[in-house]
Amino acid sequence: MLKSTVFATAKNCTSSSALFPAKPMSMTFVRYKRTKGKELSSNVQKAITQMSVLSANRKQPKRLKLCPEDLIKHETIQRCWAEYQRDLRTERNQCLEAQYASMDEAMSVLEQLSPELYTAANKKDMKHRFPKEFRIPTEYPPNKIWYYEYQEGDGNTHKKK
Amino acid sequence: MSARRALSTAATASPSNVIKTGLIISRTPIVSKTPTKLESIYYEYQSELEKRLTWTFPHWYYFKKGTLAEKAYTKLQKKPIFKVPDVFYPRGVPDLKHGRERSEKQVIVLPEDVVETSSGEEGGESAMLKKIVPNSRVTEADQKKDMQSLERALEEHLYLLVKENTKENWEFPTFDMANGSLLHNRAEAGLKEIGGPHIHTWTVSNTPCKVLQDGQTNTFYIKSHILAGKFAPTDLEFAWVTKKEFKDKVSETYYTQMSHLLN
Repeated sequence: MLKSTVFATAKNCTSSSALFPAKPMSMTFVRYKRTKGKELSSNVQKAITQMSVLSANRKQPKRLKLCPEDLIKHETIQRCWAEYQRDLRTERNQCLEAQYASMDEAMSVLEQLSPELYTAANKKDMKHRFPKEFRIPTEYPPNKIWYYEYQEGDGNTHKKK
Repeated sequence: MSARRALSTAATASPSNVIKTGLIISRTPIVSKTPTKLESIYYEYQSELEKRLTWTFPHWYYFKKGTLAEKAYTKLQKKPIFKVPDVFYPRGVPDLKHGRERSEKQVIVLPEDVVETSSGEEGGESAMLKKIVPNSRVTEADQKKDMQSLERALEEHLYLLVKENTKENWEFPTFDMANGSLLHNRAEAGLKEIGGPHIHTWTVSNTPCKVLQDGQTNTFYIKSHILAGKFAPTDLEFAWVTKKEFKDKVSETYYTQMSHLLN
């Protein structure tokens, strides 16, 4: 409201000054309600905005209140998931146990057949490291799926040439 | 197992027992597993719960007041229902804070989405605005059923099976031991002998993971992974197979002996 009034007056002034350029303009100074002094400096305003992002104030949703039926549904879903995870875990553990047993058997047979090979197979190589070329599965395949052009002696890294 | 143990002890006594080494070499999965039906439903449920419980998006921080960007953003959003006195709201009285209905999840439409779709329809002049299309999880080799390709069955482990011309059965490659060599060294060298030198592998451990005893022959298996390169033998049939295909290819006894080693 205030701004528009000022703007309108200014417009009138320019038009009148254009009509009568020689006559000096009469200006009456009006003091309106003070507004500018109360405004925060831009830095403070910026800090407040940034704090408002971190703060939970007025941004939290309503508490989730489930009716008894929904609560039962939710608990059933969670229990189903827990059992599914337990099944996966059991399967994995059984597989690991079987693998350990077969390793154990292989080593005891090797011990009887060839003690030298057994000692070598039991030795820990501290320089044996996980290779950095090993790829972690991603959701979608890369543009070049497999690096077939590997040449002997390329070293441990395969770079695209 | 006890019978086999007894056999092996008997074999030790005779001087003619043979040690061989075998190699279980795998290509690890390239893409992640497709979630099962239960998994995808559960993940969707959890994500909806999380969306319902997240804080309001602070749009005033990302879109400065009075800018064109803010205008474009507010224009795209769905208008919320305001609370008006003396009005009955069958779905609950609106509870708005920062223009978000607090009892529901907040749905935000971003201006970028509009830009992306519109540029896609027009053919996309600028590469920056082009929508990203991910590569297919099913490859050409999958469709051709090319068993010798390493670019197939991206979700699964692939294992190398070979069939020598003299033999009937498919099995993991095995090698005779040379004098003075160790199990894992011999297995690595043997693979390069039959499949060419241009292959990059990583042996998991020098400990064998399995022994197969067939009469006087004891084959110790070493686990390894292929990281790059090609297995290209000259006088040998070979295939990279998943565990499922492995079951169909090999004999039943071989599968029961080996299945726990495969993923």
